[in-house]
Amino acid sequence: MASGAVPQVSGRDAGFVSDSENYLKNSSGVLSWACTLDHKRIGIMYLVGILASFLGGGLLAMAIRAHLMSPDGALFEDNNTYNQIFTLHGAIMVFLFIIPSIPAALGNFMVPVMLGAKDVAFPRLNLSSFYLWVGGAIFFVGALLMNGLDTGWTFYTPYSTSTDTSVVMATLGAFILGFSSIFTGLNFIVTINTMRPPGMTWFRMPLFLWATYATSIIQVLATPVLGITLLLLIAEKTMHIGIFDPEFNGDPVTFQHFFWFYSHPAVYIMILPAFGVISEIVSVHSHKGIFGYRFIAYSSIALALLSFLVWGHHMFTSGMSHVTVIVFSALTFTVSVPSAIKVFNWVATMYKGAISLTTPMCYALSFLFLFTIGGLTGLFLGTISTDLHLHDTYFVVAHFHYVMMGGTVIAFVGGLFHWWPKMSGKMFNEAWGRVSAVVVFIGFNMTFFPQFLLGNQGMPRRYASYDPEFAWLHQLSSIGAFTLGIGLLIAGLVLLHSIFNGKQAPANPWGGATLEWHCTSPPPFFNFKNPPAVGDPYEFDNVEYDSATDNYVFTDLPRERVPEKTPESTPASAGGQS
Amino acid sequence: MLAKLNQCTSGLWADAAHKLWFPDQASTYAAESDSTYSMILWVSIMFFVPLMIVMGYFVLKYKKAKGGKATSRLRHHNGLEITWTVVPCIFLVIMFVRGSWGYLDMSIPPEGARQVDVTAYKWAWSMDYGNGAIHPELHVVLDQPTKMVMRSTDVLHSFFVPAFRIKRDIVPGRYNIAWFEATMASEKISDEELAVILADHKESGDKQWDYDRHQVTEDGYRYFDLFCAEYCGQDHSTMQSYVVVHETQEDLDQWIKKISSRGETPPAEYGEKLYKLRNCVGCHSLEANKIVVGPSFHNLFGYDRELATGEKVLGDEQYIRESILDPKAKVVNGFNPQMPSFKGQLSDDDINSLIAFIKQQSDRGSTAADLAEEKSADEKAADAAE
Ligand code: HEM
Ligand SMILES: [Cu+2]
Repeated sequence: MASGAVPQVSGRDAGFVSDSENYLKNSSGVLSWACTLDHKRIGIMYLVGILASFLGGGLLAMAIRAHLMSPDGALFEDNNTYNQIFTLHGAIMVFLFIIPSIPAALGNFMVPVMLGAKDVAFPRLNLSSFYLWVGGAIFFVGALLMNGLDTGWTFYTPYSTSTDTSVVMATLGAFILGFSSIFTGLNFIVTINTMRPPGMTWFRMPLFLWATYATSIIQVLATPVLGITLLLLIAEKTMHIGIFDPEFNGDPVTFQHFFWFYSHPAVYIMILPAFGVISEIVSVHSHKGIFGYRFIAYSSIALALLSFLVWGHHMFTSGMSHVTVIVFSALTFTVSVPSAIKVFNWVATMYKGAISLTTPMCYALSFLFLFTIGGLTGLFLGTISTDLHLHDTYFVVAHFHYVMMGGTVIAFVGGLFHWWPKMSGKMFNEAWGRVSAVVVFIGFNMTFFPQFLLGNQGMPRRYASYDPEFAWLHQLSSIGAFTLGIGLLIAGLVLLHSIFNGKQAPANPWGGATLEWHCTSPPPFFNFKNPPAVGDPYEFDNVEYDSATDNYVFTDLPRERVPEKTPESTPASAGGQS
Repeated sequence: MLAKLNQCTSGLWADAAHKLWFPDQASTYAAESDSTYSMILWVSIMFFVPLMIVMGYFVLKYKKAKGGKATSRLRHHNGLEITWTVVPCIFLVIMFVRGSWGYLDMSIPPEGARQVDVTAYKWAWSMDYGNGAIHPELHVVLDQPTKMVMRSTDVLHSFFVPAFRIKRDIVPGRYNIAWFEATMASEKISDEELAVILADHKESGDKQWDYDRHQVTEDGYRYFDLFCAEYCGQDHSTMQSYVVVHETQEDLDQWIKKISSRGETPPAEYGEKLYKLRNCVGCHSLEANKIVVGPSFHNLFGYDRELATGEKVLGDEQYIRESILDPKAKVVNGFNPQMPSFKGQLSDDDINSLIAFIKQQSDRGSTAADLAEEKSADEKAADAAE
């Protein structure tokens, strides 16, 4: 079957990759993983790492919600413990989990395959970025074990320069993670620029690649600012150089500018890859080309650039000049347009499609619901007069959880299900997969919707105890959180179960047209024997269902190899030319 | 259409919304802020609900068995795409303009506003009414603009009164300004009711006043909540204060008079009151081995303590005074230099009263305390004689 691994032959699925070619089995032993340069194995290692972080951050979240079951705090003796728990929850979720989640785990695995390349441009850099992530994680755990961390994930000065918890250790961790993020971004930019096979023009790239590309631009441009900010913070804390701390003639608002100049774009590092995943899922599971391809592609780039201009909306109450506040409000509204366009496009894609309600599709629908709420509630915060009331209340907590958890995390889980057969070579239990999607959806809304009401009523965030009148909404939210936890647990069990008991996955279980569905599941070590034929990634006309193998096959291949514009020469490193 | 939406908003919606969604509208700009909120809400619903209905309809209508084919190849439609880009933009511009308008209103204090100096510190508030009248509660007059000049002595805090829809960070090293005009007076409960509550308070051990339990201030006023909305460390969540809106200026003046001097109260007793009012109690316990944040006041006076530098220092009047005014000068071993300075916030008489109170907490303090007591009695006698 090996020679047919790239299903350019028409008719049936070429079959499964042999063990000697399969990237999971072509070599074994711990070292073969630890020292691998294969982007797929690195992607899997990242996946394990970030899932562990997600579990850790999630358990902390459960602890927070358990504590808030009662107005005086039900779990921890003193406020300090609570403060450390919410800080670690935020820091782990943001720095260790959500920023690397889609780009570093799913992206590392899928980007070269979808591109039709053998690997990323710099495989060694790729491996080192994984170990930098591990290093950063160790610093975080170290900070936790030493004195804890209680500044909130934003490290606002002068609190962070005056507390005696392990701020330096944690910021060093975040600094190292920044390098990991930059390396991943650089690698993708170069990979996408230089390693497209003949015929893969920019506008034949799947939207997931556009999204990753836009994300990478932000990673490379914004992350250094975070690095500098954190180094300045450390210098301030240890040497009192007087930039951020008023005691030494610094200005704390400067820190906020620096911090959000990275962290607002970082918000888009978190959400843009999710847009890419959703574009793939909605199109493949509706078996219909994505609606408004160019609009979505351009709006990804537009968001990447605009995201650098709106950081000030985190500081409407900090005492900036009136003009500054108003200008930032105006800029903030500009980012909501490209996001809105995408939602319309996704829904329009489903029009007259052939929709399969698979697990990934259930997650994608859930995403559309939750992310739209997340985006719309951003409007209340971008409007200055209402933000003055809502800022730093639970309304903001609800808003960014709808965007980051309801958006990015749901898309990540959906993407994981979508590509799981490809990555593991195993099919999962569809029925239970859908159950997990429904439980997560219900739990999610029950957790975070009440928080909008709490915010309206004036409940500030980061409180270890609260006035009794807020109790019932908090309790509702906590019960929702446990439901949500159970939903995610089910999702995890479904995937774990498939590894041991799953059916062998065919090459193209969903009927996708992008390149990753052209190679076997799991992909062979070199992804593609020959540079694959590249056509329209969203052309579903020649994808036919074959009920005998429960697989989708490509009928009228080999497809046209003539590119939209013939490149002068084939890049030497293009996929498959070993 | 928008005007219509807003009409609808201010009528039917307003009633239901305020109980369920918002606290009282107790300032001049609360109504405008809420109505902007409702406008955005309606616009959002107008987009969200049809979109979700369409999505659900598509899923049901176009759901196909495995292997089914899409019946349309529609991949783009310029008219549609331009419409759904331009229409939201119009709404966004309206939101932006209304929000900025409201913001300017809320940020520029009118001339002639009454000024209160607000100091925020870990983890309490002090409001300075001038002439040494300082109190943690914020007291203002109905229908009169109040301007607050706010500073922090340590980290970032944020002044937040939900009922007024106002929030403004307090940044150390800067003066941030906020203003509001209250439109809803705080009810004052009857003296009998207050007497019952005061008795209850005495019974519960005479600790710090428990606002949640009593639902009125110590003077018998109902109040609005005032929160700290910027994370400021350990007891951030207890950094609350209370806003009382008086019907008349006279009423407020009377209250200020009541809090502004010690009057006939003996120093130690007044010191105890300050210990609670100025929230020393938030960090210093009175029990032997109970450490909240700073050292306990138990046996502080008359005993040696070891400093972070390794020196020893006697806990005498001079040491206590210095620790109140310049807390970082002599830091006790094992503690963080976290305490804010009370320079300019406590009068000499206040500090003496506090020292008298602290002496009471020490078994070596009594003789000295008696002396101080006697001395001040002498002074009074001398005053009276004059
Ligand atoms: C696209 C994905 C988005 C993500 C991932 C996201 C995430 C976040 C996060 C994490 C915060 C909280 C920061 C904190 O700790 O205080 C936040 C606040 C904010 N977001 Fe978003 N957001 C997104 C979209 C939007 C949109 C579309 C808008 C406006 C149209 C918006 C407006 C705001 C504003 C104004 C704040 C500051 C609110 C405040 O603190 O009062 N966001 N967002
Ligand atoms: Cu505070």
